[in-house]
Amino acid sequence: MDEEPERAKRWEGGYERTWEVLKEDESGSLKATVEEILFQSKRKRVLESHGQVRLGMMRHLFVVIDCSKSMEDQDLKPNRLTSTLKLMEAFVEEYFDQNPISQVGLIITKNKRAEKLTDLAGNPRKHITTLKKAVDSVCVGEPSLYNSLKLAIQTLKHMPGHTSREILIIFSSLTTCDPANIYELTKTLKDLKIRVSVIGLSAEVRVCTVLTRETGGSYHVILDESHFKELLMFHVKPPPASSSSECSLIRMGFPQHTIASLADQDAKPSFSMSHLDSSSDPGLSLGGYFCPQCHAKYTELPVECKICGLTLVSAPHLARSFHHLFPLQAFLEIPVEEHQGDRFCQGCQGELKDKSVFSCPSCSSVFCVECDLFIHDSLHCC
Amino acid sequence: MKINIEGLLVYFPYDYIYPEQYSYMLELKRTLDAKGHGVLEMPSGTGKTISLLSLIVAYQRAFPLEVTKLIYCSRTVPEIEKVVEELRKLMEFYSKETGESSNFLALALSSRKNLCIHPEILHANIVVYSYHYLLDPKIADLVSKELAKKSVVVFDEAHNIDNVCIDSMSVNITRRTLDRCQNNVDTLQNTIRNIKETDAAKLKEEYRRLVEGLKEANVARETDVYMANPVLPDEILQEAVPGSIRTAEHFVGFMRRFLEYLKARLRVHHVVQESAPQFLKDVFDKVCIDRKPLRFCAERLRSLLRTLEIADITDFSPVTLISNFATLVSTYSQGFTIIIEPFEDRTPTIANPVLHFSCMDPSIAIKPVFERFQSVIITSGTLSPLDIYPRILDFRPVTMASFTMTLARTCLCPLIVGRGNDQVALSSKFETREDFAVIRNYGNLLLEMSAIVPDGIVAFFTSYVYMENIVASWYEQGILENIQRNKLIFIETPDASETSMALEKYQEACENGRGAVLLSVARGKVSEGIDFVHHFGRAVIMFGVPYVYTQSRILKARLEYLRDQFQIRENDFLTFDAMRHAAQCVGRAIRGKTDYGLMIFADKRYARADKRGKLPRWIQEHMSDGSLNLTVDETVQLAKHFLRQMAQPFRQEDQLGLSLLTLEQLESEEILQKITQIAHQA
Repeated sequence: MDEEPERAKRWEGGYERTWEVLKEDESGSLKATVEEILFQSKRKRVLESHGQVRLGMMRHLFVVIDCSKSMEDQDLKPNRLTSTLKLMEAFVEEYFDQNPISQVGLIITKNKRAEKLTDLAGNPRKHITTLKKAVDSVCVGEPSLYNSLKLAIQTLKHMPGHTSREILIIFSSLTTCDPANIYELTKTLKDLKIRVSVIGLSAEVRVCTVLTRETGGSYHVILDESHFKELLMFHVKPPPASSSSECSLIRMGFPQHTIASLADQDAKPSFSMSHLDSSSDPGLSLGGYFCPQCHAKYTELPVECKICGLTLVSAPHLARSFHHLFPLQAFLEIPVEEHQGDRFCQGCQGELKDKSVFSCPSCSSVFCVECDLFIHDSLHCC
Repeated sequence: MKINIEGLLVYFPYDYIYPEQYSYMLELKRTLDAKGHGVLEMPSGTGKTISLLSLIVAYQRAFPLEVTKLIYCSRTVPEIEKVVEELRKLMEFYSKETGESSNFLALALSSRKNLCIHPEILHANIVVYSYHYLLDPKIADLVSKELAKKSVVVFDEAHNIDNVCIDSMSVNITRRTLDRCQNNVDTLQNTIRNIKETDAAKLKEEYRRLVEGLKEANVARETDVYMANPVLPDEILQEAVPGSIRTAEHFVGFMRRFLEYLKARLRVHHVVQESAPQFLKDVFDKVCIDRKPLRFCAERLRSLLRTLEIADITDFSPVTLISNFATLVSTYSQGFTIIIEPFEDRTPTIANPVLHFSCMDPSIAIKPVFERFQSVIITSGTLSPLDIYPRILDFRPVTMASFTMTLARTCLCPLIVGRGNDQVALSSKFETREDFAVIRNYGNLLLEMSAIVPDGIVAFFTSYVYMENIVASWYEQGILENIQRNKLIFIETPDASETSMALEKYQEACENGRGAVLLSVARGKVSEGIDFVHHFGRAVIMFGVPYVYTQSRILKARLEYLRDQFQIRENDFLTFDAMRHAAQCVGRAIRGKTDYGLMIFADKRYARADKRGKLPRWIQEHMSDGSLNLTVDETVQLAKHFLRQMAQPFRQEDQLGLSLLTLEQLESEEILQKITQIAHQA
C-alpha cells in the first residue's frame, strides 16, 4: 500500500510562491488577516456547540465525491483525488467512531453522470476498501450536481423520519452540468429535510452557496490540506436535529462478545452473517457477537442484523456518542493581564504567552488556546 | 443613528456606518460651509449616496436660509430610482426619530410616464434628475432655469462629466436633418400664412415685442431669477432683435437661405475642417448672412413657435437644432470646431456627409452651473487624478479629496499581467496588435482564468474591431473551444437588444453554476452602466489599455484645443481618459465590502508609473510591487490563493470596529484618529 503514485516532476507542477506564506501582514493592524478571522470562527464553533441542543445522532449520510477532470489538479499533493480519498478514509473511520449508530454511502460523479460506489451501510470496512480501490480511477469530464443529488435522494427519501438525512459533497470543479434546473431539486431537498453541505476544493461557487443555504447545510472552501482535513472532520460531529423531525423509540440489541477457546467442546466454528456475501474474507471462526433476538453471528459491530433487522451496537460505542449530548462546557476567556496565579498552561505546561487565557469553569485551571481547542475538539473532558 | 459632524446633527438611517462615510460627510460639510465647489472620490459600494443625502438634508434643516434646495443629478433612470429609494429610507428615519411627518418635498424627474406638472414641484426641497436637465441648454432652459441660487448641486457618477458637457453642446447635421428641417420650414410658412389671414394682430404684437428686445429675459436674469443659458448669451439680451429677421416671413426666408447654404456645404468630396470665424465669413460671402441675425436665431425661433401656438415642439426638433447651431456658431469664436466629412472612415465609398459642429471645451456648458449655484459637488468612484477635472471644467474647488475603502479583509486583488508563459510581452499597442504570439497569450490567460475563477468572468477589449479580430483568431486556434469546456461565452455587440439578451443569459449561466465569460468592450454599454455584483463578476480582465480612437478628427481637434488653452499635453489627456475607462471597467466587479473580485490588467504598459498613478487610490493601494509584471502562470497561482481566501466565511462581526462602526465606536478617540487618514487631499 506504500506504493507512491508517480509524482509529477517539480518543473511540471504549478508555479508556487512558497516564500509568501512566511510574509507577515505589512499593512499593520488595520486589516485583520484571514487567518485571524478563521481562528475567531474556530473559537466560535467551540462556543456554539455548547448549547443544549438536540442532535441528530442517527445519521444517514451520502458523501458525493467529484471525480471530474479538475480532480487531477496538483495543488493538493500528490493530486486532489488521491488526497481526498486518503482523507475520506480517515473520515469514515472517525465517523463511525463518533456515530456508531449511523450509516454512510458513497457516490462519485464524473463525465456528467453520477454513480453509486457503496450503498448506505454501517460498516466502515467496506467503504474503506472501496475508497482504496477508487484511487486508480480516471478523472474525466464534468461533474453533475443534479444527477448526484437525484441519486442520493432516491435512497435517502426512504429513510425513517427520526434520522437525520445528509449529503456531503466534495466539489472540486467550478461548473456543474445539469440536465434540468437545479433549483427545482433544491425545493425537493428542502421538503425532504435533506441537509446538503459542500466542501469546495477551489473557490466559492454560487450554486453551492444557494444549495447549502436553502437546505441548512454548511459551505466551506479549503485553504490547504490541513484545512481540508479540519473541514472534513467538522462533519463528523452530528448536526442539530431539526425540531420538526419525528421522535421514536428504536429497538437496539446489545450482543455480548463470546470468546470460545478451541479447548471448549461446545464451541462450533461458524460463518459470520456479514461475510456471507463477500468471498474475500475467511468465514469460519469460533467467537463473535450473537444477535440477542435471532442468534445470528457477527464478527464486528455496529451492524444491522441481516435476519431480523435489529440494530446491533455495543454499549461502549453508544457511550462514546455521549459527549455529543453533554458536551464539555466552554472555557472562560480572560485577558492575560487580568489573570492571576498560574503562569503555565495546565495542559501542555507551556508558558502562557497569548493575549488571553482560558479557564475551566468547574475546576478553574487555566489553559492556552491550543490546549483549549484540543480539550474541546478531541478529549471532550477536562 | 444620530451623528455629530462638527457641530451638525446628522440623522443617518442605518445602525452602522463605514469610517469613510463619516470622513466623506466631514469633507462635504466643510465644502458647504465654505459655499464652494468640491471634487470627491469615493469607491462605489461604500454608501456614497446615503452619505450625501443625510448630510445635505441635515444641513438644509439646520440652516434653512443658507441652503434651500438640493439638486441631485445622476446618469441613468435606475440610478435615479436608487437615489429615491435611499431618500425614502432617510425620510422614514426622520419621521420615526422626530415623531413628526416631515415637510420635505422631494421630486424625481425620470421619464415621461412619471411626469407631474403641479406648480408645487417648484418648491421641492430635493430634486433628483438626469444630468441633461441641467447641462443640456435645450432642456435646461425648460426645466432648470428657475432653480434658486442657494442650491447645492451634486453630480454623481461624474467621471464622464466632461463628455456629457461636450455632447450637450455639440451638433451633428446630416443630410436627413436638413431635409426634415426643410419640411419644418415649409410647415412654418404655411402656418404663418394661415394666421395672417385669421389673426394678423398676433404677429404684429410679436413684432412689437421683438423691437423692445429681450428686455424681459434680461431683467429676469439680472434680478437673479433665471440661470444663464449658454445658447442665450448675455450680450444679446441688451439688444433688440435685428430688423432683418423681425417679421415672421423674413425670418422663415432667412432660415431657408441658411438651409440652402448648409446643403451646399454638405456636397463636399473631401474633409473640411474650419473654425467658427472662418465659417461665418464663408456664410457672409456666399449667402450674405451677417453674424448678428445668426446669433438671434434660436431666440427668434422660440418666439415664433410660441406665437404660432405650436404645441408639439418635438416635430420641430430639426429646425430647433439648426437654429441652435446658428446661434452657437456665431456666439463662440473659440472652443468649437466645424468638421465636414463626406463619408465615414470605415466605408469610404458610401457618401454620407456629416457636419460635426463639435464642442471642445466642456467648461462652456457647465459654466452657468458653477456660476449660478453656491455649491457644486462632483463625485464618483473613479475621479483620479483629481486635479484634472477642475482644469478641464475650469473651476476652482475648495475641497478635493479621495477616500479609500477601509476593509476588514482585502477583497480586491489588482494584478498586472505583463508577460505570457513564454515571456512574450503582452500589450494591445498598435505595433503588436496583429502579433500572433500576443493574441495566443491573451487567449491562454482567459483560458487559464476560466478554469479557476468560479461563476462569472467579464473580459473587456479596447474596441469592437479589436475584439472581433482576437475572437476570430482564438476560434482558429481552438482556444474558444477549450474555454467553452469551462464556461459559456457571451459577446457584447453594438446592438442594444442583442447585448441585453446576452447579459440576461450570462447572468442565468452564473446563477446555475454553469459559469460564463462575457466578452465586452470598454466604453460600451456594459462597461458603464451595469454592475456585476458577487458571483456575476468574480474577475474582470482588461485586455489592453482602452485608448480612445486617436485618428478621429474631432478628438484631434479637442486635443489641440486642450493643449493650447489648458496646457494639458495630448498624451496626458489620452492616458487619463484611457485609465478612467479602465478603472470603470475593473470597478464593475466590486460593488460593496462583502463583494470580492480579481482585477486583471493584461498589458505591460499598466505597470508604468504614469498609468498606474492615474488609477483611483483605492485600487492603487492594493497593488504590491510584486504584482506589477506577472506571467500568466503566476497570475493563476495568485488568483487561486486569493479566491480561496475570499471563500472563507465572512460575517458582519468581522467588519465591526475595522470597516464598520457603531455609534459608540465612532465616538472613540482612536477611531477618529484613523478616520482622518482616510481622506487624501489632492
